[in-house]
Amino acid sequence: MHKLGRGHRDKLQQFITITGASEKLALQALKASDWHLEGAFDFFYSQPQLKTFTDSRHLEELYNRYKDAYVDMILADGITLLCNDIQVDPQDIVMLVLSWHMKAGTMCEFSKKEFIEGLQSLGIDSLEKFREKIPYMRSELKDEQKFREIYNFAFGWAKEKGQKSLALDTAIGMWQLLFAEKQWPLVDHWCQFLQARHNKAISRDTWSQLLEFAKTVGSNLSDYDAEGAWPYLIDEFVEYLNENGIIQNDLINDSSLKR
Amino acid sequence: MSMSERKTIDLDQGWDFMQKGILKLKNILEGLPEPQFSSEDYMMLYTTIYNMCTQKPPHDYSQQLYDKYRESFEEYIVSTVLPSLREKHDEFMLRELVKRWANHKIMVRWLSRFFHYLDRYFIARRSLPPLNEVGLTCFRDLVYKELNGKVRDAVISLIDQEREGEQIDRALLKNVLDIFVEIGMGQMDHYENDFEAAMLKDTSAYYSRKASNWILEDSCPDYMLKAEECLKREKDRVAHYLHSSSEPKLLEKVQHELLSVYANQLLEKEHSGCHALLRDDKVEDLSRMFRLFSKIPRGLDPVSSIFKQHVTAEGMALVKLAEDAVSTKKAEKKDIVGLQEQVFVRKVIELHDKYLAYVNDCFQNHTLFHKALKEAFEIFCNKGVAGSSSAELLATFCDNILKKGGSEKLSDEAIEETLEKVVKLLAYISDKDLFAEFYRKKLARRLLFDKSANDDHERSILTKLKQQCGGQFTSKMEGMVTDLTLAKENQTSFEEYLSNNPNADPGIDLTVTVLTTGFWPSYKSFDLNLPAEMVRCVEVFKEFYQTKTKHRKLTWIYSLGTCNISGKFDPKTVELIVTTYQASALLLFNSSDRLSYSEIMSQLNLSDDDVIRLLHSLSCAKYKILNKEPSTKTISSTDYFEFNSKFTDKMRRIKIPLPPVDEKKKVIEDVDKDRRYAIDASIVRIMKSRKVLNYQQLVMECVEQLGRMFKPDVKAIKKRIEDLISRDYLERDKDNANLFRYLA
Repeated sequence: MHKLGRGHRDKLQQFITITGASEKLALQALKASDWHLEGAFDFFYSQPQLKTFTDSRHLEELYNRYKDAYVDMILADGITLLCNDIQVDPQDIVMLVLSWHMKAGTMCEFSKKEFIEGLQSLGIDSLEKFREKIPYMRSELKDEQKFREIYNFAFGWAKEKGQKSLALDTAIGMWQLLFAEKQWPLVDHWCQFLQARHNKAISRDTWSQLLEFAKTVGSNLSDYDAEGAWPYLIDEFVEYLNENGIIQNDLINDSSLKR
Repeated sequence: MSMSERKTIDLDQGWDFMQKGILKLKNILEGLPEPQFSSEDYMMLYTTIYNMCTQKPPHDYSQQLYDKYRESFEEYIVSTVLPSLREKHDEFMLRELVKRWANHKIMVRWLSRFFHYLDRYFIARRSLPPLNEVGLTCFRDLVYKELNGKVRDAVISLIDQEREGEQIDRALLKNVLDIFVEIGMGQMDHYENDFEAAMLKDTSAYYSRKASNWILEDSCPDYMLKAEECLKREKDRVAHYLHSSSEPKLLEKVQHELLSVYANQLLEKEHSGCHALLRDDKVEDLSRMFRLFSKIPRGLDPVSSIFKQHVTAEGMALVKLAEDAVSTKKAEKKDIVGLQEQVFVRKVIELHDKYLAYVNDCFQNHTLFHKALKEAFEIFCNKGVAGSSSAELLATFCDNILKKGGSEKLSDEAIEETLEKVVKLLAYISDKDLFAEFYRKKLARRLLFDKSANDDHERSILTKLKQQCGGQFTSKMEGMVTDLTLAKENQTSFEEYLSNNPNADPGIDLTVTVLTTGFWPSYKSFDLNLPAEMVRCVEVFKEFYQTKTKHRKLTWIYSLGTCNISGKFDPKTVELIVTTYQASALLLFNSSDRLSYSEIMSQLNLSDDDVIRLLHSLSCAKYKILNKEPSTKTISSTDYFEFNSKFTDKMRRIKIPLPPVDEKKKVIEDVDKDRRYAIDASIVRIMKSRKVLNYQQLVMECVEQLGRMFKPDVKAIKKRIEDLISRDYLERDKDNANLFRYLA
């Protein structure tokens, strides 16, 4: 540690803080990218995760701690207890990331298979390791590709069983949660628009295309292609923004935003 | 022996002799007193050449004679012809030239005869230019080349004089221009390069000057008259003295200067241009306009464009007029419902007749004008009037003609003609499917309530619609008409069945019309609680129907039924013609004196809307068969009803109308639903064949496929695409959101 210069040490600390990686892995990533933080992140996330050995017995114990008394699943109460133990708010977005790792089929439910295999893939077999992993899972939201996967996973996870669409209120809640991570300037307008003009469930196609819209179309909408294949609802949203003169305001807001 | 020996002629001696002959010829050409050549003279001259060419060398003078032949012409031209031409100008020069050319040709002909032997042997053997050609070439090289510019200018000057109305010597010009052609000796290059090019240029300049004045001074029709007259005269000019090959070039120049250059200014003249002519129905002027502008490149484009604008404006004026009339009548509440809309349709038909005649006559059936007419009508024919779409208006118009007691009394021929025209107008309507649905609805009413005036007309219009829109468009309607025919046969069978089966007794007269599901508009089918008398009827008919078809299910639509009831009122018995619903309600009072609203509702098993409408017609309208408590104008759920035994009417037979339900909304909803299915089917069909297709192309093909029946809104297509994605028929490509894949 004393061998590193102050600049390098600062970067190492920053990397560890963001990714939750071990010092060893952090050093490896930073050296591979010649001490550029952005490159180090790319290196780190592109590496296949080495599967740490996990103790099956410990995993079984963890599962049994949280499983429902009557059903061989972890339900809402169990998840609440889990959040308590790992010191995470149940509403925290990191729970979505965890669910994504577990390939959870439905919100507020983990099957035994989902729970155990998910924790194995994360290399977690104890509460201590679980807590240590939280920063890592949080940092995955910074990776664009993973964010997209998590975002699209959220649709199936959050919708009611047997339904094809996502209830509007749930969708709005999810968007606010997710775009808090991504800083899409129009998210509040989008939610207002949906409540004012749409008031119906959201299709998977609209859900996934909205992320593309947020990524590819500038917030002043100058590069929006009205003749393109955007979902109908997004076309309506653009009309809504133009009708209400919101673009002008956002142009000002956009320039003042700190990126 | 001395007689057989020919004396050798030497060159000088022989040529002296020839010179005398040539001099004689010149004198004749110059008009001097000189006797004609005798045959002896001719023979001596010919023989001299012959002898001089056939003597033994060195006395064979063929070459020398050939050269002297040419020199003869050259000398004559230089000494006599050119001086006579140079001293003259303009028209006089032209006359002299014509004379000189004529003389020259005579001279060539005579000398060629004298020197003929050269052509036969010497020239042939040496491959030299023939005598005739040599002669003409001399004139060309010495006279023509010096004077052709002046000649050209003089000719053009005369042409311009003629254009100004002066009398000129056309024969003279004809002869002069023939020189240009003949000088070419089979080629047109001299005519074209030395005269025609300059003439065309002058023509352009001339007409450019004229046009720049006329366009300012003249009205459009006057200008066109002048233009047409000018073209005619230029054509005359060609016929009289220009070479025929000049005609297209000449006319093109005139057309360009008079028409192409000023096309827009002319057509858009404020008080007399194309718009004004159309407005004032100046058919003759419009015909002339077409004839003129059809001659210039793309000349008809602005005319057809203005025509389209004009027809569109006329159509939009009709729309506005109808809107205003409807508003006025609505405020006054004096009009028959829908009359103004019917007047509108009639006027659109008249407008179409008028402008179709223009296209066929003034504009000679030209495709551009057919297209302009079509596009114009497509614009205003899809506007609708007073909240009714054109599709609905046309259907209503047809209904008015085809039903009994329609507002117009037309002869059979007039009906056929009018229906033909309506079908033509339908071609302009985007929403043909909407027309079909409204038409079907009204056709159903005409057929089921015996309102159709004439079966032949019903079938006739279906034939016309089929021709225009295809068999699929009319198949349901034809099915409906066929059902009615079958229904009559069915009723006959039913009556036979009743007479053959004493046990089968409906108790009352019964007529049933069997309809094929799918042909007819969808009708609400309620579980109306029928009176016992009617239940019996239903059962009897079902038994009959089972004898014919064992596997079909009958669904009864009481809302379409009618009944005749004898109402026994205190003053007198009155026969009531009512709907089945009304009859069912009235029959309740055979066993009850007084019934509440809710009792009637529950006993009939109908909805609130139906009961309210029903009871209103029996207690609050013109014929108050029932007394209502309280005695208000509207039905409420707390009302009570009693039979009005004191009711009477001067007529012994009355029809109690049930207020019609507004079906417009229903029809539009049905059509919208059908369109969604149609779009879905189209998208699936396209994607099934393509497998992978980008969004713009998919939308385009979809619009193209469906355009015959309705114009799909792009937004509607987009919604259907999204719905098909949700239903797993389509998916977006993972990498390109604009690309769709078909899922098998």
